[in-house]
Amino acid sequence: MTIAIGVDVGSLCTKTVILDGGNNILSYDIMRSGHYYKGAAEESINNALKTAGLRKEDVGYILGTGYGRGAISSADGQVTEITCHARGATRLFPRVHTVIDIGGQDSKVIGIGDNGRVTNFVMNDKCAAGTGRFLEVMASALSVDIGEMGDLFFASDKNVEVSSMCTVFAESEVISLFAQGHKKADIAAGIADSIARRVVGMVGQVGLKEEVIMSGGVAKNAGVAHAIGKRIGTKLLIADEPQIVGALGAAIIASERI
Amino acid sequence: MEKVLTEIAEITADPYGYVAGLKERKEKKVIGCFPMHIPDEIIHAADLIPVVIWRGNEPVTWGHAHVPPYDCGITRSFVDDAVRGKLGFMDGMVFHVRQCLQAGEFPFIMERHVKPSYQKVLYLPALYPGDVMRDFTITELEGFKTSLEEFTGKKISDDNLNKSIEIYNKNRGLLERVYEIRREKPEILKAREVMQIVWSSMFMLKEDHNKLLTELIKGMEAKTVEPEKDKIRVIPVGCLCQTLQFDILDLIEDLGMIIPDDDLYIGSRYFANQVNLDGSPLGALADRYLTRTPVCPTKGVWQVHWGDEAIKKMRDNDARGIISIIVKYCPPHACYYPDFKSKMEKEGINAIMIEMEHEIITLEAIKTRLQSFVEIIGGV
Ligand code: SF4
Repeated sequence: MTIAIGVDVGSLCTKTVILDGGNNILSYDIMRSGHYYKGAAEESINNALKTAGLRKEDVGYILGTGYGRGAISSADGQVTEITCHARGATRLFPRVHTVIDIGGQDSKVIGIGDNGRVTNFVMNDKCAAGTGRFLEVMASALSVDIGEMGDLFFASDKNVEVSSMCTVFAESEVISLFAQGHKKADIAAGIADSIARRVVGMVGQVGLKEEVIMSGGVAKNAGVAHAIGKRIGTKLLIADEPQIVGALGAAIIASERI
Repeated sequence: MEKVLTEIAEITADPYGYVAGLKERKEKKVIGCFPMHIPDEIIHAADLIPVVIWRGNEPVTWGHAHVPPYDCGITRSFVDDAVRGKLGFMDGMVFHVRQCLQAGEFPFIMERHVKPSYQKVLYLPALYPGDVMRDFTITELEGFKTSLEEFTGKKISDDNLNKSIEIYNKNRGLLERVYEIRREKPEILKAREVMQIVWSSMFMLKEDHNKLLTELIKGMEAKTVEPEKDKIRVIPVGCLCQTLQFDILDLIEDLGMIIPDDDLYIGSRYFANQVNLDGSPLGALADRYLTRTPVCPTKGVWQVHWGDEAIKKMRDNDARGIISIIVKYCPPHACYYPDFKSKMEKEGINAIMIEMEHEIITLEAIKTRLQSFVEIIGGV
């Protein structure tokens, strides 16, 4: 019963991490949340349990986090994604003091004290500008696969500015840049930089303190991560699987509650 | 106590209906005062019904033809109510146009599109370089008094004014007593009930409100409550000019916090400071307006820091955090906030800011912020 589970139900993806008694990751799962968060959470938990060769009866505590944290029927408790990201990030990189998390539909910057606890944070959760959803829309406007976007950035040799922050306006701006004959790579770099500019403002509000980790699905886009690092003037630490940082933090807190 | 609370909840559920009914019952004219600084004692002394204008709960419709969507909630809601004829029971309106840029828009809009039978614009000073501003304020108030006398055709004697001030002072004293009991037993009232109590004072006749408060206080004094020691005490600050959505107050409590005291406009700021009855009544009203505390970002007070006041209130109440509530698109508060925030950081205070919007309450997002705040304080 020393098994702890953290489930992070995000607006786009649901992530689950299972820890053993020694806080080692036994398994994890990432799947699309869809429209039924409750079902997604249970499915993701079952997937992770199956991978780890465990049954639900083996689990000591399940902690939910993320946008849909209230919808997890098997959860024993819930903690916000802010706290969970901070805990997950410090577990992965003990000297981290700033987390930049860009998920499917929101972004946040979290300041962490020397004790590994949250000191302050800012969230942008009112619009999808600069989030995973924004990148999906931009990729479709550029007619490229979302996975290709990050590499495309590094083929850019010219600055093209995407000035609009709004997903809808940025999409039409990208289409017109395309029509003006700009290269896809340059536009992709412009998109990455537009996200970076937005993040810089949020980092400024929290106060940049190194080391800095980037988490969330958008961290998988090397172009965006590079652009943000360049704008804030520091190299970003990125976990092997940046999407599970929040679920990992939730699992750590769950293990403390067993 | 429960009976009074139910009555107050009913009154605040429909301030339009209540004030219209009051006007009919008392056969007196109603004068709307835009919050936060009009000394409505003068209106009361003119035998009129003063009411502090409120933010309605409906989405803004026609109002957007007159004010932009980036004005604060009460500005847009008030203009919308007025141009849609919902404030037809208001015979007159008073504005203090130096309060903020948005308040400066009203007189033109009202004069043109609403045409109240009485309208007065006050220019109360926003800075206090000395006695000259006191004299200036008194002159403004004299002009205000004269305009009301012309409107009613009746003189307002010093005696009338002193009587009204006395009734208002009594109301402030009773509200202070409610707060005092709440500080001793914060579990006694829900935060929404406290806001309803103060808000109802703003549009009820003070004589009627005093009766309700006297009965309420009796009940509060007699009631014993079980202290909820595991609750985290917090002090909400700000929310200028308007009611905060009650859902947000409920959310604060549902997340394990409790409010022993506040620094909200529809809260302790409204009844802070009595009017001294020793000298000339207009001079005393001017002095209350010119008082530097509680610090208000619409009055250029730099000698006292709002942050220091909030921290003191927090410490006096054994509270563990401060929740700043900024009305979206309120420039005075937004301009003061960076300084306030720096003070909180410098003093190591647990503090968070949430933005209050008129139409779109992104309650889920506010919940995440407040829950994170609780987790920070609780050391999760
Ligand atoms: S809330 Fe702020 S902007 Fe709106 S009327 Fe009041 S002081 Fe002016």
